[in-house]
Amino acid sequence: MPETATQPESLAPPAELKRSPNIIGQRGLGYLTDKLTAFNEGKTPRWWWVMFFPAAFCATVVLPGMLIYQISTGVGVWGNNHPVMWGWDIINFVWWVGVAHAGTLISAMLFLTRQHWRTAIGRAAEAMTVFAVMMAGLYPGIHVGRAWFDWFMFPIPTSNGLWPQFRSPLMWDVFAVNTYLIVSITFWYMGLIPDLALLRDRAKTRTKKFAYGLFALGWTGSARHWHNYEKAYVVLSGLCTLLVFTVSSIVGMDFATAQIAGWHATIFPLYFVVGAVYCGFGMVLVLLIPLRKLLHLENIITMRHMDRICKLTLLSSLAITYIYLMEYFIAWYSGDPYERWVFSHRLLGTTYWYGGWIMLVVNFLMAQLLWFKRVRYNLKLVFVLAILINIGMWFERFTIIVGSLYQDFLPANWGFYKQTWVDVGTFVGTLGVFFMMYLLFIRFVPMIAVSEVKGITPEADPHHPLGGAKGEKP
Amino acid sequence: MKTDLQNSTQANGRRYWRSLDELADTPEFKDWLHREFPKGASEFTDDVSRRHFLKIMSASFAFAGLAMAGAGCRRPEEKLEPFGKQPEDYVFGKSEYFATAMPTRNGAIPLVVKSYEGRPIKIEGNSLFPGGNGGTDRYAQASILNLYDPDRARHFKQDGKIVSRDEALKFLDDLSAKFSANQGEGLAFLAESSTSPSRARLQKIIAHKFPKSKWFTYDAIDSGIHQRAATQAFGQSVKPIFNFDKAKVILSLDCDFLGGEDDAHNHIRKFAAGRKAGDGMSRLYAIESLFTLTGANADHRLRVPASLVGAVAGAIATDLFPLPPNVDPNWIFECAKDLGANRGSVLVVAGQRQPIEVHLMAYAMNANLGAIGNTITLIPTEENSETDLQSFDPNATDTLIILGGNPAYNLNWSTKPKAVVRLGYYEDESSEKSDWNFPAAHYLESWGDAKTSDETIVPVQPLIQPLFGGLTELEFLARIAGESQTNAHEIVRATFDGSDENWKKFLFNGFQSIQSANSTDVNKNVTLSKIQRNFTFSASSLEVIFYRDSKVDDGRYANNGWMQELPDPVTKITWDNAILVSRKTARELGVANGDVVEISLNGKKVSGPIWTQPGMSDYSLGLALGYGRERAGRVGTGVGFNAYKIFSGKYIETGATIKKTGETHLIATTQSHWSMEGRPAVREANLEDFSKDQKFAQEMHSMEPPIVKSLYPNPLDEAKKTALHQWGMVVDLSACVGCATCVVACQSENNIPIVGKDQVNRGREMHWMRIDRYYTADPKTEKFPASFVKDDDQQFSEWIDDVQAVNQPVMCQMCENAPCENVCPVNATVHDNEGLNVMAYNRCIGTRYCSNNCPYKVRHFNFLDYNKRPLKDLKGPLYPTPVLHETDGQWDLARWWKNRDVGMRPDDEWDLIKMSKNPDVTVRMRGVMEKCTYCTQRIEQAKISQKVKAGASDNVRLKESEGTIPKTACQQACPAQAIMFGDVSDPDSAVSKLKTQPQNYALLGDLLTKPRTSYLARIRNPNPKMPDYHAPFSTEEYEERGGQFETEKKI
Repeated sequence: MPETATQPESLAPPAELKRSPNIIGQRGLGYLTDKLTAFNEGKTPRWWWVMFFPAAFCATVVLPGMLIYQISTGVGVWGNNHPVMWGWDIINFVWWVGVAHAGTLISAMLFLTRQHWRTAIGRAAEAMTVFAVMMAGLYPGIHVGRAWFDWFMFPIPTSNGLWPQFRSPLMWDVFAVNTYLIVSITFWYMGLIPDLALLRDRAKTRTKKFAYGLFALGWTGSARHWHNYEKAYVVLSGLCTLLVFTVSSIVGMDFATAQIAGWHATIFPLYFVVGAVYCGFGMVLVLLIPLRKLLHLENIITMRHMDRICKLTLLSSLAITYIYLMEYFIAWYSGDPYERWVFSHRLLGTTYWYGGWIMLVVNFLMAQLLWFKRVRYNLKLVFVLAILINIGMWFERFTIIVGSLYQDFLPANWGFYKQTWVDVGTFVGTLGVFFMMYLLFIRFVPMIAVSEVKGITPEADPHHPLGGAKGEKP
Repeated sequence: MKTDLQNSTQANGRRYWRSLDELADTPEFKDWLHREFPKGASEFTDDVSRRHFLKIMSASFAFAGLAMAGAGCRRPEEKLEPFGKQPEDYVFGKSEYFATAMPTRNGAIPLVVKSYEGRPIKIEGNSLFPGGNGGTDRYAQASILNLYDPDRARHFKQDGKIVSRDEALKFLDDLSAKFSANQGEGLAFLAESSTSPSRARLQKIIAHKFPKSKWFTYDAIDSGIHQRAATQAFGQSVKPIFNFDKAKVILSLDCDFLGGEDDAHNHIRKFAAGRKAGDGMSRLYAIESLFTLTGANADHRLRVPASLVGAVAGAIATDLFPLPPNVDPNWIFECAKDLGANRGSVLVVAGQRQPIEVHLMAYAMNANLGAIGNTITLIPTEENSETDLQSFDPNATDTLIILGGNPAYNLNWSTKPKAVVRLGYYEDESSEKSDWNFPAAHYLESWGDAKTSDETIVPVQPLIQPLFGGLTELEFLARIAGESQTNAHEIVRATFDGSDENWKKFLFNGFQSIQSANSTDVNKNVTLSKIQRNFTFSASSLEVIFYRDSKVDDGRYANNGWMQELPDPVTKITWDNAILVSRKTARELGVANGDVVEISLNGKKVSGPIWTQPGMSDYSLGLALGYGRERAGRVGTGVGFNAYKIFSGKYIETGATIKKTGETHLIATTQSHWSMEGRPAVREANLEDFSKDQKFAQEMHSMEPPIVKSLYPNPLDEAKKTALHQWGMVVDLSACVGCATCVVACQSENNIPIVGKDQVNRGREMHWMRIDRYYTADPKTEKFPASFVKDDDQQFSEWIDDVQAVNQPVMCQMCENAPCENVCPVNATVHDNEGLNVMAYNRCIGTRYCSNNCPYKVRHFNFLDYNKRPLKDLKGPLYPTPVLHETDGQWDLARWWKNRDVGMRPDDEWDLIKMSKNPDVTVRMRGVMEKCTYCTQRIEQAKISQKVKAGASDNVRLKESEGTIPKTACQQACPAQAIMFGDVSDPDSAVSKLKTQPQNYALLGDLLTKPRTSYLARIRNPNPKMPDYHAPFSTEEYEERGGQFETEKKI
């Protein structure tokens, strides 16, 4: 039966204003439920295992091994030295914080701005945030010389009367990262509740029913539940949106408050927010492009979604390019010989020139390809670009941290930095944990918020011919 | 209540009560009194109480002493006369100071040694010594580590087997009996030179008793040439003393009197005294081939091959000498004119490595320029009457007695006499070749005497019983001589000519004050001798210069970790020696830094890595002796290459060739960047310009952005109002020659661990203070991309050919507005109200943010457990982890579980390392940051003693006028007195006065760190008429890079 037969001709929007819908295929709500929970309820496919085992190996063998070795032997097993006291440890910390950011931006900020297309990718991005913040939070804890005294950093009233030093940006980091972790977990989990209830209701075994039931917190889908849920969601979105700006700003202040040339710049808070969002969009693309294919979600995460993420990526690339240029301009304009030295050596120096060039070429030049629709619609190319963006952003942090530290004020102190196998191993381990957790996430809960997606189907629109309000019209 | 009150009045006399409760003597009050101390203290009923423990310990110390004295019948109870601050009674935990001296080849360094509970822990110079200032040299500072060296010879050995001490001593008695029967036929002695009057006396006894025996004195590095040359020049046995302080113009003929020469600390002291910016400032001309510390401090430096130095000197002395090629005749002419214009206050010194002809020429010049009696004091001395080592015939020798030294290593020893008996400090290369090995005592374990370079007799007092029962040279010789008195103390006492009272005073003061060396009249007509001057050099016929290493000396400090890790004052190389070449030579030979090449010289060969040394003369190779030890111990074995293999006793040789081997060797330096990049770190001016613009140093800051007023008040400003002192420091860059004695002194005082070559290469050395050495060059020779040249490629840049070098000691600057403090998340580094930036190691978790934010990079991080790991476990990238490692056959984690104090070091090493530590300074664990503290332990000690002295009065402030301000370790050790520490809140203190000098400036002061350490700019005194007259290159570079001179911007 032709579904659109009853639609009056006059109601159709003009062709030039016609948008491609957020969900294509025009299927019923039941179809959506089946589709979105299929991966959680079905048999585990082979590709999942193929991805899971290496990730789990890195997470459970490589990372603990590296941490035990490092903590029992000393930070000296890393490449950190004098004068480059921070190396891969802080680079990766900043990188992971950055990865986390796009998730919150998509799910919270786009929610507040009523961008309906976000529903298809919000949860996947939020999960990325949660796992990335966990990895980011690991680094400050283990990079210190005496990790067993990490609790000194928390304001614990002890008998010695010592209190942390609130002037230190590292102290702010402790609060920022922990707040971010707690809020983003809460936000993510709250959004999961209706879907957990859904899985509970559809569960075929007692164990599953019990497990999902436990985490569904007795959700019945009553109007009162929905009312409270929506209110809380708005509040948390607001909180998360603030965190998008504050967390990376504070991480940026680790550098801005220091007086090393190359760090000592007021642009850093904004710089790190933009960089974080940019890097995060890169990671969202890296995750979504294969997953929408593997989970057969092309109709829900449509090309239109990918296109929009690409556009946002392009936007943040332009923003970060502006900041790069500003950095160089200010270094020149200030006349400060130390600033000038650092920035001229970022590109023309002999030791870490490649970091500066990778950062410029990838983060600025390569991203410009996204101006072209043909590029944006070529997902293979976008995937490669997204990976390059993540690498480019990693090198941005490398350039900022190592590139500023290795040649500072007194030439007698100048040194070099080279990572060791333990640095690499620890990073690979954190990547392993991240991907392992992500794979577990898509396996056990719907990667896309089922209830939210249903909310943006044409049928959910009261003005739509097939919309819910139709029947109530007189 | 009434009765209670009556009770309380029973006491005699006037009675005070603290409360009514006490007056009433209630049980509650008694309980409160009892409870005054922390909970549990009064109930502490452990079987071994602290008091009891101390009783037992002190008793066992006494017994141990008795047992040692009894078992060996070594020495009767001997009194050590404590120096200066003698406590009335021994107080545990309070250090005592004893006067002693470190014997050197041609002199001795008078010392005061700090002893803590019976073990010496820090060496300082004797500031009471006439003319001395308490300064020492690197070797003296480091020698204490040799005392606690785990690789010391610990046993008496015959043919490699351990024998008992008694057996070994009996062997000596038998030896003595055997040779007294045949008048010493076939007996030979091989000894290092010594200035000990007691040894000289025993030597005479031996010569008398064994008339046919032979005595050879051998030093791998011979510094006796000054005396021999003076004796030859003036026709009588005299010894020169160079008065650099009295000279206006000094000409050094390849003489590294500030570095490698013997007695350098005295030279530095006198030289620095003559370099005060102002009218009387001396001028130094240096003609040299290697780039030495003397060259670095010279106002004019001429680089010529060492073989041609004599010829250049001849040209300066008289125009009869033709000039060697490539030497600017104007240089020679103006230098000669300057010398001639300053008759009577001229000093010409020739280097130890130069042949005697050059020395004779120097004396001739001195004599003609009226230096004798003015800038050179000649004092009578005894002539050495030893047989020349050349006549040593091993086949004719039945028994060879070796006293010290290491002839198997530094003498090419092919045939071995029948029996070799050796008294040696280490079980080294020579021990293998000796039949009998006797462990020698360290000088801090020995009774002895010595003469300083000015012939003052100084005592060598033991600070501790020999740790491993070693013998002193005197005991050893006395036994061989068959003396009835073999006790070293008695021998020294017998040599000492004086009453018991004088003897006590001698030991107390640490020198014999009655005898002061008088100058002697000599025939001042010295004629010029012939100088060979026909040398041509090329890449295929190179000159080789063997020099005394500034760290391991002739190899004797090879197993001393402090010395191995000390950056060479000029090259900044650690843990290695290298073949030093000039840039041009390296290019012509096609070699680069680290390339291993083989040198052939007179048919002998040795391989070593190349190091391009700026300022070296072309076609010369500089080879430091003392490395390449095959059996030095766990520190020194296999470090560097052994230049003795091609050394034949001549320090300058010609005709060497070089062949590339294709291998490379990693050289670890502590400073990879050579140029100052036009930054005003070290600020310099010529004397002329300085007198015109006195404040130049304070004006060299305009490259920085404008200074803005801080938004927040500095809390220290408030604290300043109430604090008793405000500590500060001034480093005088004109006085500092860069000798690095302070670095070793700091290491010794502050328990700074060594980290090994691999860690140094990773940039993780721990020195709390370092000496930055920059090479500066004429900006015209620096091509544009100079700033963008890789550190590894600096060696190819042309600007390094003719450079000036500047030194800058950098320790914690104690910023009032310290960038390190506000970034620490746990408050581990904070400011005290006296202006010290203090570290709380216990609180530090090691985020390393403070070091990143320190613009001076003076903070050092314990990346690994440097104290508890042996050197071999400090090599990356695969460091042994305690989880998988065993020490002494036991799993490290199990060891750690039982005793948290142990690390991965074997027990024999750990026990001695522990003894060497200064108990007043925390030994830092891994994972914490550390840095210079201005020797806070010394400040605290001084404050405590002042409080004790003050008693009830409130006279607790330390005052310079009362001499109660302590000296930091670096300041104390500095022979140049370049470092001044004190209270800057006292306007009359020396440090305050120095800070008001016009050339005082703050390093990176534009960052508004407000450092408490400031620097006095370096003033050079070049001769404006010289062809190479220049503004200091660093100043020219600064201006070239856009730096200007502007008056200070006011906040």
